[in-house]
Amino acid sequence: MTRTVQGGEPFFMQGNATGCLLIHGFTGAPNEMRLLGEHLAACGFSVLGIRLAGHGTSMEDLIRTREQDWIASVEDGFQLLQACCDHVIALGLSMGGVLTLHAAANLPVTGAIAMSAPYLVPHPFIATLRPILPLVSRLWPYHTKRHPGLEKVESQHEHVEYEAYPYRAVAELEDLIRLMKADLSAIRIPVLLMHSRADETVPEAHAERLLASLGTEDKHLLWLEESGHVITHDVEQDIVFDAAVKFIRRVTEEN
Amino acid sequence: MTYTIEHAEPFLFPGDKTGCLLVHGFTGALNEMRPLGEHLASQGYTALGVRLSGHGTHMQDLIRTRKQDWIADVEDGYHILRGMCDRVFLLGLSLGGVLILHASSYLPVTGLVAMSAPYTTPEKRLDTLRPILPLLSKVWRYRPQSKPGLPGKSGKLLYYPAQPIRSLAEADDMIDLMQIALPEVTAPALIIHSHSDTVFPIKSATCIYDAISSEDKDIHLLEKNEHVVTRGEGCEIVFKACEQFIKRVLETSR
Repeated sequence: MTRTVQGGEPFFMQGNATGCLLIHGFTGAPNEMRLLGEHLAACGFSVLGIRLAGHGTSMEDLIRTREQDWIASVEDGFQLLQACCDHVIALGLSMGGVLTLHAAANLPVTGAIAMSAPYLVPHPFIATLRPILPLVSRLWPYHTKRHPGLEKVESQHEHVEYEAYPYRAVAELEDLIRLMKADLSAIRIPVLLMHSRADETVPEAHAERLLASLGTEDKHLLWLEESGHVITHDVEQDIVFDAAVKFIRRVTEEN
Repeated sequence: MTYTIEHAEPFLFPGDKTGCLLVHGFTGALNEMRPLGEHLASQGYTALGVRLSGHGTHMQDLIRTRKQDWIADVEDGYHILRGMCDRVFLLGLSLGGVLILHASSYLPVTGLVAMSAPYTTPEKRLDTLRPILPLLSKVWRYRPQSKPGLPGKSGKLLYYPAQPIRSLAEADDMIDLMQIALPEVTAPALIIHSHSDTVFPIKSATCIYDAISSEDKDIHLLEKNEHVVTRGEGCEIVFKACEQFIKRVLETSR
């Protein structure tokens, strides 16, 4: 019996000297990035889909996890990919998008694609409650998920994720987003944001605020209309895949 | 600025379809495995060194880490390596040896090399205290690093300055898990241990050797190497032994 659940394993597909580092979202698993990864691999790129610390195993593991563990997970993936590639592009979904933008400011990546990324924790009281959240989380450990995150019914069955949000880990997510926000103006590399107007988990306004805060001049925001939060695995996934490939080709050829 | 400290990062040397997964020891860092990785890469193999959770960053991170995180780290490395290779060998030092022996009981590996691995908890005191150790560790937080861990003869090794008591409890549990799993290990195995190892006694090697079910198993005893057999005096003997073991297993499995 493996410790990692099925769909929770990281994946690697060796291709050319352009490496794509795929980062999944909060309480999610590498599986939600796999289709995108396979598409990028079919286009010739090298692809590494990492597993973030505390994910893809058991929800209790996530409670012990801190923001620095996720940052270290991304650094680990970057190191491995850099060993066989000349360029590394970071691509992340939701919290993976937050980590992608953090990496864009702190690691020598060539480009960054942040999908469905939040500008703040999409819950009105979390920022205010942050100081007492670790204590609160001892009494109420979990927050039940309300939205399925996906419009496509078949994808809902295949989706690997924890069934709730541990409050202790939400506090870490809040801290991580704060770190990212402080770095946004320092980003100088090409950035592509993708967001769905139908996203119920992270409202569309977040994408506009991210776009406005980015320091880079080469920044674009691609809107989707019908997808849920997990745009890599939903009705408009082909638009997402094509946009990612075009962006990667453009930024690696320019360099 | 990265969060992971310099030289503690995981490494990957792409090579042929034979992959070698290298796992470092408790409170150590990957640079203790890097020269071995470089040697295996020079033989044409693909080598991947994983960073264990809570290591190579800050000692506080280690205190939060549990054995299941380390188990998952080894699985991660295995899956990534399988993406480039048809066969995977596991090589681990000390706690890394414990982890790869455990992983070999359920992952389809081609062969394994356990170096300086313990068979039992070296200290009965910790074993007796185990039930109250998590609580006790809130007051008795650290104990000094064991001697061979300190930079010195073995070259510049990166080590945390102390051993967190809470994490020692996890390492002990991991050894217990490994012991239970040893009879399930059937892949070709090489056990390496040094007579001069002052951390774990030489009889650990024979106990592990006896406990595993592998038909193809070998034991290589060293004289002068310190606990970290992959660095310092005599490390070339270890590199050569690993290289020859992998080569032989590949030839016989063909």
